[in-house]
Amino acid sequence: MAKQVTLTIDGKQVTVPEGTLVADAAKMAGIDIPVFCHHPKLEPVGMCRMCLVEIGRPVRDRATGQFVMENGAPKIQFMPKLETACTNKVEEGMVVLTRSQKAVEGQKGTIEFLLTSHPLDCPICDKGGECPLQNLTVAYGPGKSRFLYDEKMHLDKQVPLGELIWLDRERCIQCARCIRFQNEIAGDPVIGFDERGRATQIVSFSDPGFDSVFSGNTTDICPVGALTTSDFRFGARPWELQAHASICTQCPVGCNTTLNTRREAKSGGRIVVKRVMPRQNEDVNEIWICDKGRFAYHYTEGKQRLTRPMIRKDGKLTRASWDAATKLAAENFQKAKKNFVILASGRLSNEDLFNLKSLAEHADGKAYIYSHMGGGELTSLVGVGEGTNFGSMGAGTTIVVVASDLYEEAPVWYLRIKQAAARGANLIVMNARETKLDRYASFTVRYAYGDEVKAVSDLAKKGKIGDTFLKSENAVILYGSDGLGVSGSAALASACAKLLHDNGFTGRPNNGLIGVWGRANDQGAWEMGFEVEEDLAKAFKGKTVYIAGADPVADDPKLAKALEGAEFVAVQDVMTTATTEIADVVLPAQAFTEREGTLTSGERRVQRFYPAVPVTGEAKADFAITSQIARHMGIVLEGTSVSAVFDILAASVKSFEGLTYARLAEVRPQWPIVGRSDLYYGGTTYENTQGMGAQLSAAAGRGEKVSIPKVEKEALVRPKEKELLAVPVTKLYDRGTTILPSELLHERIGEAKVILHPETAKSLGVEEDQKVSVSFNGVNGEAAVKLTDTISVGVALIPRSMGLAIREPVAVKVK
Amino acid sequence: MSLAEKYPKEVKQILAKYPPEHKRSAVMPLLYLAQREEGYITKAAMQDIARMLDISETDVASIVGFYTLYHDKKEGKYRMQVCTDLPCALRGADEFLDNLCANLGIKVGETTPDGVITLEAVMCLAACDKAPVFQTQGPDGIKYHENMTVDKTMELIEALRKSSA
Ligand code: SF4
Ligand code: SF4
Ligand code: FES
Ligand code: FES
Repeated sequence: MAKQVTLTIDGKQVTVPEGTLVADAAKMAGIDIPVFCHHPKLEPVGMCRMCLVEIGRPVRDRATGQFVMENGAPKIQFMPKLETACTNKVEEGMVVLTRSQKAVEGQKGTIEFLLTSHPLDCPICDKGGECPLQNLTVAYGPGKSRFLYDEKMHLDKQVPLGELIWLDRERCIQCARCIRFQNEIAGDPVIGFDERGRATQIVSFSDPGFDSVFSGNTTDICPVGALTTSDFRFGARPWELQAHASICTQCPVGCNTTLNTRREAKSGGRIVVKRVMPRQNEDVNEIWICDKGRFAYHYTEGKQRLTRPMIRKDGKLTRASWDAATKLAAENFQKAKKNFVILASGRLSNEDLFNLKSLAEHADGKAYIYSHMGGGELTSLVGVGEGTNFGSMGAGTTIVVVASDLYEEAPVWYLRIKQAAARGANLIVMNARETKLDRYASFTVRYAYGDEVKAVSDLAKKGKIGDTFLKSENAVILYGSDGLGVSGSAALASACAKLLHDNGFTGRPNNGLIGVWGRANDQGAWEMGFEVEEDLAKAFKGKTVYIAGADPVADDPKLAKALEGAEFVAVQDVMTTATTEIADVVLPAQAFTEREGTLTSGERRVQRFYPAVPVTGEAKADFAITSQIARHMGIVLEGTSVSAVFDILAASVKSFEGLTYARLAEVRPQWPIVGRSDLYYGGTTYENTQGMGAQLSAAAGRGEKVSIPKVEKEALVRPKEKELLAVPVTKLYDRGTTILPSELLHERIGEAKVILHPETAKSLGVEEDQKVSVSFNGVNGEAAVKLTDTISVGVALIPRSMGLAIREPVAVKVK
Repeated sequence: MSLAEKYPKEVKQILAKYPPEHKRSAVMPLLYLAQREEGYITKAAMQDIARMLDISETDVASIVGFYTLYHDKKEGKYRMQVCTDLPCALRGADEFLDNLCANLGIKVGETTPDGVITLEAVMCLAACDKAPVFQTQGPDGIKYHENMTVDKTMELIEALRKSSA
């Protein structure tokens, strides 16, 4: 533990760790020192002078170094001038006065100065109601200004920094929180100050503007209404909003969020989600979320939502009752016997997946997870468990990232791992191409596509890299699917698991294997025992298929064809998709915003989400639909209470043992304290009052015998001589069903692309931005050429879910 | 053409002054180099410098924006930068600038129709005791003009006009 220091703030004795800043020490003792530029997550800069206080220090005898005593107490000497509480560290015996006459005058003066050029347009400002400038002006301001209103500086009021974030230059108080966040935390220094003095203003010169997937966070920590999102600006007043705890469903990080809702005339009197805000969980996302999590929720509310069950009659989907629809599904499932196949995606909650898996077991069917990645069963064996937290990783821990571009696939993990590296963790980034995380790596390993397994198997033998890895106290490996299909990633998972297992890096906190999955709850599906099938087309042919939360028809023409040849297809989803269009029965499911449930993050943390808006039409929760079908088949599955399903799940799935629904809702005190109307301002992120979740145990942690399957090296595909190899990669913004409905992201999503090295392009005779035809393995399509010299020659990167159905590495023709 | 292609020797010289891990420090001299020919720094040049030093374009642009000696727009051949900070204001800088504007028929920040003079108000030029003071920035470098009057300034402008014609 760090050395403790005791000081007195406003007469209150406070003991805090050495190195704490006075402003933070005061907050820990429940005293709000007003701040603007200071943020506990950022380095101190002392730019705004809001936190002026009187600081006295005990006088020391020069000869002995002892405190000089006066009337039995150490003699305190105050500085003649006020000092900033946000840049001074605590010292033993320090005396701080935050509300003395002198301090109050200083604070008053600062507010008066800050307001000399502020437009004071609170009535039409998005921040009004949750604005520190407003709050501090009322609490500390002089009430009147001696400056001339007409001499205010006028600057542009509606400046798009990109298409996602807008800037009001007049409102900016130049605290540089946004710039520092982008530099220090996001690692994307794409906004900065232009000009100087009163004309100082925020600019972005990147292309696209404000080119960072973390941009929305700046609107949370901006202490005025200068930065707003195009999603929310002029959308509602903060005091009209209700807050509902939720979990982001866009990637395996599982960021804690708050859904702000309101009932509004604009939406026909309905209650709708107005914005997604981060909710503090220092073990998961701290107080941040990425822009995908913030802006991609619109699919839950669009016109394309399914509202009623439907049955195909005379070739057409027609409205049906729940009873008729579930009965029809049940009859067919029962008839199918061994030919019954369930395909479920990680978009579903643990409870949904559990019921689906139970149904498959009872009905003798198969339960597949819809994933482009394999190897998940290994994360149940040697995955990370209880007590694992990127926030506690530092010196002594090795973090290996292999075959994954975390910035694009799991942004908040990128952010957390970057910070762990800054704290001294040994970061090894292994990829076939350059990724943003390389910049923070202690070692980068570059291999050719197809050599993933070899690279991992050789890691421990690799001189200095191997040494540091083997000598670490703890090690985690995050493996992904950059350039890999199901079997390739499964082979990679085995290689990683073996490396961890052989060297004792399992079964303890901050040790083990993590999968960088495509969806939020893939981990849950793996825990439940779902399997992945490489050749889904074959698995569908002639079978009775029950699809939940997946759209294989849109994703892959081959799967569309296979489903045409299926015996019977039941599709359960929140919205109309290409797959519901071909279904024999359509079962409308509730969106995660409309119900409760739990999700298992990639770090194997189970977290609860809560209902925020009323149910759309007649939609039901997935687990309830499955239960209703099961009942018609004479199988009893819990169908009314989520917590009851969770209890049954916890009793039947080993890794969930000991968890209860209530335990997931427990919270612990967290630092920094982010009360939302604080005068010491942490941002508009929400405090966590509804649960920080709990982690699963892994087989290795339970002391069970673990055996790692043989590494299937043959599963990996290498480019052959003179052949162009297409490899699938993941981009944050793609055309997936849960992203595309958010129109504001369309510019970032862009068009179908094929990414080439300039030399490859040259030899193919194609140029940047040229539309080319791409064909591989029976798939033909168009794509725009993008060039980058950060990849190797001889491969073509094809982003997944962008219109070209690529599942695994495959030879390609580009013309 | 990139800066390194255009002035290979000078770029190399500048970069050699800083240790590779602090190469971003070369941003200021490189900006001067980029400004020399056109009198301002183009967006392409900023991109070029950003790439060369491995920093973001926004970082380069902020530096251009912060210093009054860098320009990101094409303006008059000479920039006349009058200090109007507090000490100079006490010695009549505001009045001086107003009169100058009236004489030239332009506002602060504007350029004379013949494209010779751009008039600007700037912060302290570190010659507070010799106000009214301004500096001219042009192809022949930076020059200080101290204890100025409007008449003396107009004479100077005439001379600059002649030499530019
Ligand atoms: S935009 Fe907001 S966060 Fe950024 S400097 Fe201005 S006031 Fe601070
Ligand atoms: S990092 Fe993942 S979980 Fe977090 S907000 Fe972004 S998409 Fe959602
Ligand atoms: S100077 Fe301390 S909060 Fe800004
Ligand atoms: S204030 Fe004008 S030169 Fe210093």
